[in-house]
Amino acid sequence: MAMTDQAPRFVNRADQKLWFERIPAPWWALAVVLVFLPVVANSFWLFQVMGWTFILGMIGLSLMFLAGYGGMVSLLQMTVAGVAGYMVAILGTSGTVTVSLGLVWWIVIPAAFLIAALFATISGALAVRTEGIYTIMITLAIAAAFFYFTRQNYTIFNGYSGFNLVLPPQLFGVNWREPVPFYYLSLVLAALSYGAVVYVSRSPFGLALQGVRDNPRRMAALGFNVTAHRVAAYALASVFASAGGILLVWQNAQIAPGTIGMSAAIDVLVVAVVGGMRRPLGPFIGAFIYVLLQVFSPDILGFFGFSAERFKLIIGLGFLAVVLFSPDGVLGLWDRWRARRRQQGGQAGGGVA
Amino acid sequence: MNAPVTPPRPVALGQSHVSAGNALELRGITKMFGALAAISDVTLSVRPGERRAVLGSNGAGKTTLFNCITGDFLPTTGLIRFFGEDVTTFPPHERIRRGLRRTYQISSLFAGLSVIDNVYLACRGVSRNRFSLIRPRRDDALVHAAETLVEAVHLTAEKDRLVGELAYGQQRQLEIALALSGAPRFILFDEPAAGLSPTERRDLVSILTTLPTHIGYIIIEHDMDVALRVVESVTMMHNGRIFKEGRPEEIEDDPEVQELYLGGGHE
Amino acid sequence: MDDIIKRNPLRSLIIAILIAVFLWLVFAPWPPELVAKWGRKQIFLNALLGGITLGALYFLVAAGFTLIFGLMRVVNLAHGSLFLLGGYLGYEISSLTGSWFIAFPVVFLVVGLLGLLMQRFIFSKMEGEELRQTLVSIGISIVLADLMLWLWGGQSYSILAPGFLTGPMELPIINSINASTGATNWLRYPAVRVWILIAAIVIGVAMWLVLNRTALGMLIRAGVDDREMLAASGVRIQLVFLAVFGFGAGLAGMAGIIGGTFQSLSPGEDTRFLLASLVVVIVGGMGSIVGAAIGSLIIGVTEQMGFVYAPTYSVVFTFLIMAAVLAFRPQGLLGARR
Repeated sequence: MAMTDQAPRFVNRADQKLWFERIPAPWWALAVVLVFLPVVANSFWLFQVMGWTFILGMIGLSLMFLAGYGGMVSLLQMTVAGVAGYMVAILGTSGTVTVSLGLVWWIVIPAAFLIAALFATISGALAVRTEGIYTIMITLAIAAAFFYFTRQNYTIFNGYSGFNLVLPPQLFGVNWREPVPFYYLSLVLAALSYGAVVYVSRSPFGLALQGVRDNPRRMAALGFNVTAHRVAAYALASVFASAGGILLVWQNAQIAPGTIGMSAAIDVLVVAVVGGMRRPLGPFIGAFIYVLLQVFSPDILGFFGFSAERFKLIIGLGFLAVVLFSPDGVLGLWDRWRARRRQQGGQAGGGVA
Repeated sequence: MNAPVTPPRPVALGQSHVSAGNALELRGITKMFGALAAISDVTLSVRPGERRAVLGSNGAGKTTLFNCITGDFLPTTGLIRFFGEDVTTFPPHERIRRGLRRTYQISSLFAGLSVIDNVYLACRGVSRNRFSLIRPRRDDALVHAAETLVEAVHLTAEKDRLVGELAYGQQRQLEIALALSGAPRFILFDEPAAGLSPTERRDLVSILTTLPTHIGYIIIEHDMDVALRVVESVTMMHNGRIFKEGRPEEIEDDPEVQELYLGGGHE
Repeated sequence: MDDIIKRNPLRSLIIAILIAVFLWLVFAPWPPELVAKWGRKQIFLNALLGGITLGALYFLVAAGFTLIFGLMRVVNLAHGSLFLLGGYLGYEISSLTGSWFIAFPVVFLVVGLLGLLMQRFIFSKMEGEELRQTLVSIGISIVLADLMLWLWGGQSYSILAPGFLTGPMELPIINSINASTGATNWLRYPAVRVWILIAAIVIGVAMWLVLNRTALGMLIRAGVDDREMLAASGVRIQLVFLAVFGFGAGLAGMAGIIGGTFQSLSPGEDTRFLLASLVVVIVGGMGSIVGAAIGSLIIGVTEQMGFVYAPTYSVVFTFLIMAAVLAFRPQGLLGARR
């Protein structure tokens, strides 16, 4: 599965436009729809469907950044999100007063990001000791170790039951767990994360990361420290995962080992692969499909006479179908469809784009 | 059409072009693979700005020699000096930062990135801020340097295409652009003409002969028409050893060379 | 051997002392001071033996995993599902026929056949695409996990061992010496676990012999070292691949019966054993049977010792071993550097 990126190249002097002129119309349409969605959608759609989509999308985005640009398929991103989420519960306030420290939010949130970044950096440093397919195995093993550790440890992680009543701070007098504020909060963070990934992909670091993906030996021969770039990528990706993880804790108002279990780690991979790991938009599309399936599968399954529990079967079969027939995910299908249409439209030009 | 290449001005490294002695000095380099000596006791010195060809049949140890110079392999014994500095045990990226460059026999590029991005990365590799998260501005010195290099290897028309989509000859030209990036002081060319068409070979010769004169290089090349036209001295290798050195004319006329090398079953 | 001792006299000495201390801990009766510090000797022995037998079980699962990876570069993340499926099938067969033994060949064949089909119709179609193969194996494991949950539900199953294997047996290891009578109290240990250990050793030695002493083994090892060479030599490599995949899958299935006999089977055991296999091969080295054996032993014993002596941190020990191996010897203890 070649993970080539199709990010925009350097812009020619000829088509220098202001930045907002360069954004194509469909994006404006999407932005308008997302901004005005609360006018038409009910709170279930805003809070459950869209909120969850943005959260899962951000965690998937951190995987896409590592896999699509860095060639490192990490199953650790849900764990990184979980570390940030746990830190919010442990350092801030929760129903488990014996463990939670109850610090103020402007210490808790930066600390959560920092600790998650530290965790991601150390784990990344271990994972990049080997290459290629080993990455999946090692990150899966680290994720599992952390999962079992949180389940066994009661002094820090409160073991099996975890933390409940973890609520966002009442900033500006707004209850951020209300559907509309939470929707906008997650929308803004998701959009920022998306924008950051798109921006960084064209920065020296982002380009170097893609160079490392394509040809690590040559990168070393050009004077780059390949290992340092890989580890730094883990650190940077942790920011998006952490943001998703903190939102996830607030959305559920709780966190427990189950939140970061193996199936959750695999779900993030499923989301990124189904959407497409070549572009930052992929994980969000994958997350939307996943959430829709999760939310509406009981009805659909019930219609065909199956129990609602068979949701995982649908996810598994769908994932298999994507991997077997469209390795670049839904976005890959879309690209191919567009390429074919373009070919049919302009038959004179035989060049395959 | 071939404006002399203006090398991108050095970005980070302190320049000490005026260095007494040799650009590259090898003393008794031996590289063993198990019990097999790929090269043995190679002693060689190249002056700054000197251009030299290393010739020899397949398996003579030429590419192994390159790998030792760039640091991809550590030599089993021997000493390597680069502009007077002992770099024998330096990792590759440290040597690159001191102005050493190489091209690869089999194109070794970044297939998922555009032509300009490939060259930009090569320029970036020897500059500061390799970890910068800030996008380069359009008037960034390195972007400009990259564009100049792309022009120097005649690829301006292709600069926004993905490298994976380029024709073979164009990829070879891009290899050279990567080697010219930063402030190279010495370049190792590993069979740059392999697989090129006659037109592309002429292009290659013009690129090599118009390099700034302070840049020296060693070229491994099977095509004598290319090799002998772009160098001023020749080293012949056979079975991992140096057996003759001289000027191109001398080597061309040497009966021993003709028997061993030109008759010696290379492609 | 002599060479090694001569070259590293200090290290050899330390290792020799450690072995001597270990043997003393196992075979000698413990003095009261040690008992006061570490608890009764029986606890230590039980943890040690429990670790070794757990290691034996891990070995049976991981051996197939490492062989499949070594030869085909397929990271089969559905390997744990094959283990659990084997266990469930073994439960059904042994309760249907009333025979524990008959379950083994049947499960070996059925799960092995499933492995053959996976290799023949899926993995062989995407040879060389390592990431895609791994993703497919994840998909298969999701589907298998849900199918098994559908068929066998969420409760846990235990497979009954035949009569002569149940109950304890005496081992020639002193447990304690009765202070008043002076009578030696020998260690008693569940017979079924001892037999599992013996079976794992037999299977391990047999695999080693096949790999090192037969023509087929030569082929497989040559393939692990250099696949292109083997493919170019005209051997029908696909047949070798099928055989190895089928054998590895069948072995995981049989391990499922054993796992179901001395522990239990429930949803989630598939991931647990998959992870154990991962850690074992990361520690032992990819593609190496001996590495898998050593890795299994280390991980099994560490897990049990940690469980007995530091229950809240038992996972941490396993993880630290893995991290240490990755940091200092990323290719694994016995892995070849690729």
